[in-house]
Amino acid sequence: MADLVESAEQAELRETLRRLFGGPSACLARPETAGDGGYDQRLWGVLAGEIGLCGLSLPEWYGGSGYSRADRAAALHEMGRCLLPSPFMASAVLAAETLLATADEDVLADVLPGLAAGTTLATMAHQETPGGDRHPVHARRDGVSWLLTGSRSFVLDGCQADLVLVPAATDAGTSLFAVDTASAPGLSRQPMRTLDSSRPQARIDFSATPGRLVGQVGAGALAARTGLAHAAIALAAEQAGLAERCLEAAVEYAGMRRQFGRPIGSFQAIKHKCADLLILVESARSAARYAANVSSGPLADEELYAAAALAGAYCSTACFAVAAENIQIHGGIGFTWEHHAHLYFRRAKASEVMFGTPAEHRAFLAHHLGLVQAGAS
Amino acid sequence: MIIVRIDDVLSFVREFEGWLEGLGVRRRRPDHFGAGDFSVAVFDDQTPEEERAAVERGRDWERVKYDAGWGAVDWPERFGGRGLPLAFAVALRTAEQDWELPRRNELFAVTQHMIAPTVRDWGTADQVEQFVRGLLRTDIMACQLFSEPEAGSDLAAVRARAVRDGSGWVLSGQKIWSSMATCAQYGEAICRSDPDAPKHAGMTAFLVPLDLPGVTIRPIRQMTGGACFNEVFLDEVRVPDTLRLGPEGGGWQVALTTLSAERSDSGTLGAGTVGKLLALARHRGVSSPALADEIVQLWIHDQVLELSNQRAAAEAQAGLAPGAQGSLGKLAATMNMRRTSDVITAMLADELIADTGEWGTFAWTEQVLGAPGYRIAGGSDEIQRTIIAERVLRMPRG
Repeated sequence: MADLVESAEQAELRETLRRLFGGPSACLARPETAGDGGYDQRLWGVLAGEIGLCGLSLPEWYGGSGYSRADRAAALHEMGRCLLPSPFMASAVLAAETLLATADEDVLADVLPGLAAGTTLATMAHQETPGGDRHPVHARRDGVSWLLTGSRSFVLDGCQADLVLVPAATDAGTSLFAVDTASAPGLSRQPMRTLDSSRPQARIDFSATPGRLVGQVGAGALAARTGLAHAAIALAAEQAGLAERCLEAAVEYAGMRRQFGRPIGSFQAIKHKCADLLILVESARSAARYAANVSSGPLADEELYAAAALAGAYCSTACFAVAAENIQIHGGIGFTWEHHAHLYFRRAKASEVMFGTPAEHRAFLAHHLGLVQAGAS
Repeated sequence: MIIVRIDDVLSFVREFEGWLEGLGVRRRRPDHFGAGDFSVAVFDDQTPEEERAAVERGRDWERVKYDAGWGAVDWPERFGGRGLPLAFAVALRTAEQDWELPRRNELFAVTQHMIAPTVRDWGTADQVEQFVRGLLRTDIMACQLFSEPEAGSDLAAVRARAVRDGSGWVLSGQKIWSSMATCAQYGEAICRSDPDAPKHAGMTAFLVPLDLPGVTIRPIRQMTGGACFNEVFLDEVRVPDTLRLGPEGGGWQVALTTLSAERSDSGTLGAGTVGKLLALARHRGVSSPALADEIVQLWIHDQVLELSNQRAAAEAQAGLAPGAQGSLGKLAATMNMRRTSDVITAMLADELIADTGEWGTFAWTEQVLGAPGYRIAGGSDEIQRTIIAERVLRMPRG
């Protein structure tokens, strides 16, 4: 388990990114960008172009630099600390990993170099539109191509993406399709109001929209499942960074804020709360790093899914708890619009349910551990 | 800086296991549910005779191991070790649990991992010569004589007196909560040698032979029913100055060395318990999805603590600044013990409160009754939180 220790290269990468993001206390999310999905294009250019972050852990023959997913996790930790608004999670993680899981060499050769360079932005639309508008996406063959019809929601960066991956029902099971948003007829994209303005989502409706089959017919569910597992593991790294920064902010404030003639951080009520939060922060880091290591190695699907569920369940819950207590320790000032605390709270809450809720992760683990028989739940 | 390669550790463990096989030691049958001894006790609830016999079995084994060079592998050669990084020693101890070998109780950890390093760090050349190999080989078993009735969480308030008397000292006072003192030959005592000095500067440490006149050891029966803690009364016990450990007035620093010594065994306290709970759950089936979820939550906490312990050990090994985990491990462990008690209560329900005679059920009462003790022993949860806040998070002292 020596890999649980961060390597010198990972520490250096984090240090570089932290400087680039504006230092240890930087918060790059802004409440005023609410809903427009805006991110700093110049910064994205540096990250994707100069640093090559999008391709960091992608194979070299597809334009990546072939580092491990654990190295990517180090970068995500820093993105989480500063709430970086960027298409990284949707494009360089969720979409790239789902594509890799298909092992469709033609599509990978066409698409991945653009994702690795950060010049093409991709995402995956895997969640149904709920309620009365529910209209599951299905695909039917039309000569040599496929046409998709139906509705998806909660699509991360859905309005910004150049390419949308869609697992859709076919007569031969769920298959994965890639929809080019620039040229696709019958495509309608609506931004959704989001709790976390730094991470936009969209509803996408397809009406006989052409899509390119990726991988084998019927293999789409598995590819999406694997992509989502990698995304949950990446998100755990981001959550660990977010939690770490929230605790730092709480401790800094508690040392500064005076009441009853002394810093509130000298009261045991606050100290003991912070000690408990440190357990959450350090544990989240251990869980996230373990999962990142598992995802970096040669692995069976079940092992990857279990690591994703463990890290996803733990980090989601822990990270939100730290973000919530950060507000509590800040008191009234932490409840204001101007203070960053609510931006962390919003991101933590949104992350808690993204790529699987803690309850969903635990339900998987209940099967994995043999506590519930397959088929029952 | 020494970088430990995991392959080196694994091949070292294989070599060790080959040696065990050569000795005729048998591998434990894994997860043999329903047969053999079942214990999830937090504290050993044994009669004094059982306790002594268990310690003697353990000592016999430690000597065989030490003499063959498998004992103190992380110590330098001059102490009978191999000069290997700690990770190797921890890996061997973990591997040992898979073999039918005497179980190491707390006194072994105190003797070998807490008091031996303290003597190495503070002892005179003669003391190092006299004690260290003996402690590592368990020829000498040693306990702590730290806490007192009026010095619990506030350890620096110790009142047991040490008075100069010619070439020696006379020690008087009452020590308490000394684990397994009845099985030890020596006790590391922290006494007040200068009542006029500031609290932390007026203490001196001694290695007290427990068979000296004036030493009375009285077991304390704890709420589990067993008695692994003791009161140790010192009534004008005369010790030579050659048994003073560290400088006069340096007792607090010596005590801190002992307390902060690598307790590589205590991280594993309660380890394996959640595995037993899972085995029970699989064997009997889980009655509801809500209960399954509770079990999964416990399993997650257990896994994450294990990962954090591994990470802390690996970081210490890689020469990184001591991570926060060392201070956090114990608090996290007690929280998990409490969670374990809660989940087993939900699982066993009536079978936890009355014995049906079924294997591996009512024995969980030992876990449920023992868990509250570990929240107090070795620095209470509250003291741990204060230490974490002040020393790790650097929050202002109150």
